[in-house]
Amino acid sequence: MLDDDREQFRGDARRRILLVGGFLGAAMATLGGRLFHLQVLRGGEYRTLAEDNRISLKPMAAPRGRIFDRDRRILVENNPDFEMVVIPELAGGTLRFLLRRLRRFIEFSDEEVKFILQQARRQRSFLPLRLKSHLTWEEVSNISVRIHEFPGVDLQNQSIRYYPLNSLACHILGYLGEPSDRDRQRFASVTFRPGDLVGKSGVEQHFEEQLRGREGVVEMEVNAVGRHVRELHRTSPQQGADLHLSLDVDLQLEAQAALGNAAGSVVALDPNNGEVLAMVSYPVYDPNQFIRGFNHAQWRSLINDPSRPMINKAIQGQYPPGSTFKIVVALAGLSMGKIDPREHVFCGGVLVKEEQKFYCWRRGGHGSVGLMQAITQSCDVYFYKLAERLGVDAIERQAHKMGLGDLTRVELDGERAGLIPSRTWKRKRFKAAWYPGETLITGIGQGYVLTTPLQLANMVASVANGGVVYRPSLLRLHPGQQPEILSRLAVSSSHMEILRQSLEAVVHDRTGTGAKARPEGGIHAAGKTGTSQVVKHKREKSGQLIKQTGEKLQDHALFVCYAPADRPKIAMAVIVEHGGHGGSAAAPVAKRVLDRYFAKYGVPE
Amino acid sequence: MIETGQTLLALGRTALSWSERMRRFPWSLIVLLSVTSMVGFVILFSAVGGRENMWLFWRQVAQFIFGMGILGTVALVADEKFYRRFAYLFYIFSLLLLIATMIMGSVGMGARRWLEMGFLRLQTSELMKVALILALARYFHDRSVGHVLTWRDFLLPFVMTLTPMGLIVKQPDLGTAVLIGGVGISMIVVAGLSWRILFVLMGMVGASLPVIWNSMHGYQKKRIITLFAPDQDPLGAGYHIIQSKIAVGSGGWTGKGFMAGSQSQLNFLPERHTDFIFSVLAEEWGFIGGVTLLTLYALIMVRAMMITEMANDRFGLLIVVGVTMLFSIQVLVNIGMVVGLLPVVGIPLPLISYGGSSMVTVMIAMGLLAHVNIYSRQHGRSV
Repeated sequence: MLDDDREQFRGDARRRILLVGGFLGAAMATLGGRLFHLQVLRGGEYRTLAEDNRISLKPMAAPRGRIFDRDRRILVENNPDFEMVVIPELAGGTLRFLLRRLRRFIEFSDEEVKFILQQARRQRSFLPLRLKSHLTWEEVSNISVRIHEFPGVDLQNQSIRYYPLNSLACHILGYLGEPSDRDRQRFASVTFRPGDLVGKSGVEQHFEEQLRGREGVVEMEVNAVGRHVRELHRTSPQQGADLHLSLDVDLQLEAQAALGNAAGSVVALDPNNGEVLAMVSYPVYDPNQFIRGFNHAQWRSLINDPSRPMINKAIQGQYPPGSTFKIVVALAGLSMGKIDPREHVFCGGVLVKEEQKFYCWRRGGHGSVGLMQAITQSCDVYFYKLAERLGVDAIERQAHKMGLGDLTRVELDGERAGLIPSRTWKRKRFKAAWYPGETLITGIGQGYVLTTPLQLANMVASVANGGVVYRPSLLRLHPGQQPEILSRLAVSSSHMEILRQSLEAVVHDRTGTGAKARPEGGIHAAGKTGTSQVVKHKREKSGQLIKQTGEKLQDHALFVCYAPADRPKIAMAVIVEHGGHGGSAAAPVAKRVLDRYFAKYGVPE
Repeated sequence: MIETGQTLLALGRTALSWSERMRRFPWSLIVLLSVTSMVGFVILFSAVGGRENMWLFWRQVAQFIFGMGILGTVALVADEKFYRRFAYLFYIFSLLLLIATMIMGSVGMGARRWLEMGFLRLQTSELMKVALILALARYFHDRSVGHVLTWRDFLLPFVMTLTPMGLIVKQPDLGTAVLIGGVGISMIVVAGLSWRILFVLMGMVGASLPVIWNSMHGYQKKRIITLFAPDQDPLGAGYHIIQSKIAVGSGGWTGKGFMAGSQSQLNFLPERHTDFIFSVLAEEWGFIGGVTLLTLYALIMVRAMMITEMANDRFGLLIVVGVTMLFSIQVLVNIGMVVGLLPVVGIPLPLISYGGSSMVTVMIAMGLLAHVNIYSRQHGRSV
């Protein structure tokens, strides 16, 4: 080995090594620069990305508020509902085998098994897989004692809306359903989760915001495959506010029972503040069924039923008020000074007006009648003449004052306003002039006039309390809370007294049409019968009475009343669809509810 | 064979006394390697998730101690000429093992990399890394006296480098192949390859890139595409790069703290205790931590290169170059991959990544450096 040779190589190698070292140094500097770029310059950006990676938010549903009646009896509550889930990777064996073993205790149809196995293939095996919802108590107890035999299987407790009285007051309470696009617009601030339900009718719908509560959230740390690692933070859900309704379950039950199998509606109010004591619409449905789910046939029969069980007839059923409307016409006449209560009118059973015959319901006529007899015996001719004297616009004004033809603004959605005709209305609606004959028909609550049972109950309540029209309220008033007043009637107390005496005579006079509403125990009630014609148009066209063969051609029977007559505690409207005469079909229903009321609360001094 | 037998007998009977060998041992290098490995333990502890997988941690500690023992053995036991004598033999032995692996190796993770030898599972490409360094150093050493190297002299070294490279690419293990190629080329360059030839070669490689591209496996192409456009397939091929960059970037200046890296602790990071362990460090200790480790590595590189000055001959000098490059290229490729500058190739981070094979190879290589340092004649001068 030659020294100079070696030294020459060493010199050359040193240069080359320096070059390689320089390359290494440059490469290391590049790495350092890259770290600076990623960590310091763009650190915030990547930190956000890392946070997104890390936290998964799991919403926790808030239980809805409960609903009580005026005696704090539960109307709507949340029941525990069990569903069975399995984490397949913990099951220790195939899912098929697990299902076979579970089938000894729980029924699985072949379709269910197929569905479960199909679902299992779609999701990761450490995520819970739902096997069965709405387990019965028997199934829950069967499985929970053997839960150790089924590793990975878990029973999950959720809350489910429950209506313990089933169909009772279903139209007031409402039901829950999947949120529609409109619901999503209405509750824009609410994030609806899959499986979330919202109120679709009744107070469940109207008070959705209050009942709903605030959903909680669990912040879970997750790893890259979405497996939960630990809980970071939990905001507990806030249960929705409870509702305390003014409804009285006893009266509600009695009213529904009194209607029997007849389609119709009963509305009972406290005339002194407008609280709704009972509101029945028949037929009914079971709100629990909306939670359990319908099969096709059940659903078809519910929505195709001609008696329309889904409709709340108390606020959505619009009926001609018939003779109950005479209360309005009488008050209009009295307050405008168009009649003297002592003035007598002759009823010969028919009134001829512009070559048209207007009949009284009693073909023989009532003879000479004053206001009191006209109301007691429901003389049509008297009211034809009164209406003629008043004109339709005066009647219309009085009707609106008493809340007819306007929304009552009760706490329910979908309320109908009814209709009180006027000259202006007819011009707009039909582009036709008002015929004088139409005024006469309007005077006995027929023709174009349409009202809801709730409006009628509220109308009679304003007579009961001496002239105050309250806004009907389904919520119980707080102690000291002033009820909302819609209007005050401009009627002198003496005139009001005449009307009230007449209404009392309807029930208690020998000649009264509403005798069947007379309560037990010597309590005096006041009321007015009504019959609203279903086949009016056909009768008019053919000029003769069509032979009433089918029930659907029968008139609707109406009755409005309050009691006790001197110091009223309850006001009521009853309508029995196709019931015939108000006095025979509707008054007995009212009597049963009045009897129940006074049996419960006693007779006021 | 006789020569071999004599050398084996000569083991331990060298001219230097044991105390002299210990004195000449490059302790500063050992300190640097140990400190870096300690840093590795801390990161590994976090990467394996603390207590749950503590056996991985203790095993790595054991592998480090075992590796240090090997380093000492390689450096201290053999006499001055031992490695030069066995260089070719070791190379041929390693090459045969690679071929054997090719034919009857066991398949793991879609590649044929291991050779089952009874109880031992040998990753034969690891042996080749050391064998190639020894063989190339021997080759140029043999041509160092009274001989001017011409381009013909460089043919065989290229063959010696490209043959194992080709076998390893076929396994397929692109990372190790690139590493071996890099080590071989840098040794050839330092040995005196004329710059002209180097540029011509580089031109040829550049020209043949399309051919190389076409001969690559689908997954290899994908990795390269992914490097430049990781967002194209964020849950598939781009996943590693995206998640690793998020981990590194979210570390910021000072990091999220020990065991507090959400990316690392929550399994977002794939292979976080092996190839992607640097991102755990960068996430939990931030820029400060990352630069600290880079500095440690730079110090090791500088300290290792300094031994070239101690080398008595070309064999020693080229071994130092080869070992330093073997170590440095691994560091650069691994970190380059983690920070998204290089394609994802399976190269572990020396001294830090979990894994016995990688640790043992690094320690053998470092043992060779220490061996060169111990037998340096310059010690005499300094005394």
